[in-house]
This record gives sequence, C-alpha cells and structure tokens, in this order.
Amino acid sequence: MKASGFVPADQFFYLKTGIIMSSIIVGVADMKVSDNPDITLVTYSLGSCIGIVVHDSVARVGGILHFMLPESKIDFAKARTNPFMFADTGIPLLFRSAYKLGAKKQRMKVVVIGGSQILDQNGFFNIGKRNYLATKKILWKNNVLIDYEDIGGSFNRTSKLAVKNGKIIIKVSGKGEIET
Amino acid sequence: MKDIEKIISRIDKLKPVSRVANKILEFIEDSEGSASDLSEIIIYDQAVTANLLKICNSAYYGLSRQVDSVQRAVVFLGINKVVDIVIMAGCAENLRTSQKGYDLCEGELWKNSVSSALMARDLAEKKKLTNVHMIFTAALLKDIGKLVLSQYVADSFERINRLVTDQGYSFKEAEQEVIGIDHAQLGAMVLEKWKFSQKMVDIVRNHHLSEELLTPDSETGLVYLADTLCMMMGIGVGSDGLAYRFHQKVIEDLCFSEKDLHAIISGFGDKLRQIEDLVGF
Repeated sequence: MKASGFVPADQFFYLKTGIIMSSIIVGVADMKVSDNPDITLVTYSLGSCIGIVVHDSVARVGGILHFMLPESKIDFAKARTNPFMFADTGIPLLFRSAYKLGAKKQRMKVVVIGGSQILDQNGFFNIGKRNYLATKKILWKNNVLIDYEDIGGSFNRTSKLAVKNGKIIIKVSGKGEIET
Repeated sequence: MKDIEKIISRIDKLKPVSRVANKILEFIEDSEGSASDLSEIIIYDQAVTANLLKICNSAYYGLSRQVDSVQRAVVFLGINKVVDIVIMAGCAENLRTSQKGYDLCEGELWKNSVSSALMARDLAEKKKLTNVHMIFTAALLKDIGKLVLSQYVADSFERINRLVTDQGYSFKEAEQEVIGIDHAQLGAMVLEKWKFSQKMVDIVRNHHLSEELLTPDSETGLVYLADTLCMMMGIGVGSDGLAYRFHQKVIEDLCFSEKDLHAIISGFGDKLRQIEDLVGF
C-alpha cells in the first residue's frame, strides 16, 4: 500500500484494508483509488486545478484525481513520470484504476470540481477554464456523463469522498460546504 | 482613535522579524562579505539557527548527510541558498500562525509565502535578474499585512464577500472599500516599520498591481506573477480565494507566454511535495 508519491504510468495502486477510518490525502498532481470502506479520500487546494471524484456504490470503489494542466504535450517526459499532472494522461488512469477494483462505468457517479480563475483571466491564459474544457472533452469522448459539477468562479475548493457510501463533501472558500 | 489608526497601531503587536533577516540583506548588498561573515551573523540568534538547520535538512534541499552547523550549511548549500533559508527562518514565526479572517489554518499562509518566494526566485533566475534575494524576501513577506487585518476581515467578511461575489470587486478592493485599508498597504507599513528597503516596501504595497500600475518594474511584476501562479495552484489559499485581478499585459511585458506558464506550473508541481516537507519543520 502506498499513500503518496508518484506512480509510474504503467502501474496503478490502491488502498486495501489495514487502515481504520482514515483520511488519505490526494495531493496536487496525484490520484488515489480505494475499495476500503473505512477510508475517506481528501483533496485540498483546488484552484485552477481540477478534481475528478468517481464512485461506484455497488462495488464500493471510489477515487479522486487532482490534475493541474490540460495537456501532456507540454512535457511528455513529465507525463511519463507523473501522469496525474495532466488531464489527458490522468483521467484515463483514474477510470482504469477504478475498473481494476471492480467499478463499472455505467454505475459510476462522476463529480468534477475546481477550474477556478483569477478575475479577468481570459483566453489561453485561463488555465482553469482550459482544464475544464479538456475534462469535458475526454469524458464526452468516452461516453461518461458528469453527475455533478462545481466549477469556475474565483474560489478555492476542497473535496472529500467517503468510499463506503460515496458521500462527497465540497468546501468552497467563502461559501461553505455542499454535500452531493 | 480612528478605526484605521487603530488597525495600523496593531502592527506593533506583531513579533518583530529577527534582526538577522535585515542583517543578511545588508550582507548581500556588501559584495565583500564572506562565508564566515555570514556564519557570524547567524550563529548569535539561536532560534534562527535552529530553524535554519531544520530547513536545511528538509527533503526540499535533498542533502545526503545531516547538516548540524551553520558553517556546514554554507559549505553544502552555498551562500545563496543559506541566505534564503535564514530569511525564511527569521520570518517563520509570524507567518506560520493561523489567520481566521482569511480562513487560513496554522501553516497555510506560511506555505503560500514560502511557495511564492521559491517561485519568484525561479522566475527571477529565468529572467537573469541580479537582485534575487530581494525578490525572494518580498514574495515571502507580501501577505504579512493579512496578520494585521485578519480580525477586521473576520468582522466584516459578509460585506467584503458580497462586494466580491455580487459586484465584481477584487478581495483587495473590497477590503479597501469596507475596512478603509487593504492587506497590501498594511504589509508595506509593516516592512517600513521593520526597516526593510524602500524598494521592498513598494513591491509588497503593489504586489496585486492596479489599473494605475500596469507597467511595474520587473521585480514587482515577478512577485505579482509568482503570487498569481501560487493562487492558481491553490497553495495556501484562504477565503479570499482567487479573487484578485489578472493583468495579462504585465505578464506579456515580462515575456512569458501561455506555454511558459504551463511549463512553470508543471515544473513547480514536481516540487510541491518537497515544499510540504520544507514548510512542515
């Protein structure tokens, strides 16, 4: 079991039993997937970055990806050492890792959070918006629907997922908490 | 006493930054200064020395052996890095505190400050600027005014937040409108009081820029950019969120393209775990 650090692109890892009611932090440019009902996954610091939270309530498998940038073409070498930094390399790995633990695409709840922007941030410089567009494009291409999203604005967000029941709590700076 | 005067008077309640930090900045300006002069300045402040050694031994600096003295720190890391670390060690006590008005838990403002400083240093080196330590220090202390204003932001948060969410104010503009002073202005006053250089005072005052200041000097522009990128990465961001203004022209004037920003963010993303270790000392 591994709780942090990067993961090679051709591998995945998951959190198995052995920890009782623990919070596991998903860092920036990081992903965690688990089928341990005692675990809550948490990711902080979602500014322009995007957090994708997935959960299958039948298989009781959940995961969070926290990526920073839309496209790996900016640095393919980096995408190999840390695929979770980019939408196009991180999102497929999130789903594949959940499938390996028994999750099924048609049962999965998918929540997308983050993609904020600095005020007046337009065009190509608007990384939050570009992250969101990349997410929608990849999910749409793979026939995955977004069940809930809390996107944009100038907020900082935190998200928690309880693996046992799929309860997701989103904390939005200056606005309080939302439960999905 | 008027409200604003009362707020300003609270600057005196801050723990003064270690005198070592000022002396170090003087040391850098004196090109004759040697490694042993540097050690001499540091070793008489025990708290700073202890913090310095903890920071040196954090994963961020990746040393293969334990550093147990200031002299060895200088040998292994070089004068430039030790100077940065001493400045961090001298400012840590203030910046690590929680700031309830901004919904920042203990250590969050510190993490933002250190990340901004390291980012600003990287940017300054990229642009081959010479006064890297000054830029580093200004970025580290840019939000020191939040320590003074936090309580007042807490008291007026709803009004400030309404101006931001309903009327398109930036958080700094809303602080100014509701409280009568903002954290950048207060930060500049703190640095003045602590006898930092006028240049550094000005950078802190202008680190969010404004419509009147859209052609800043490179140093201010880089601190602004470092702050902006750290906000976008959500590092140590509180209830003010990302509600500050983006000035694309300033970034273009500094000759950074959108592609450059992506590369800077991805490069910095790799360092975040070591920074966690550095700020957690």
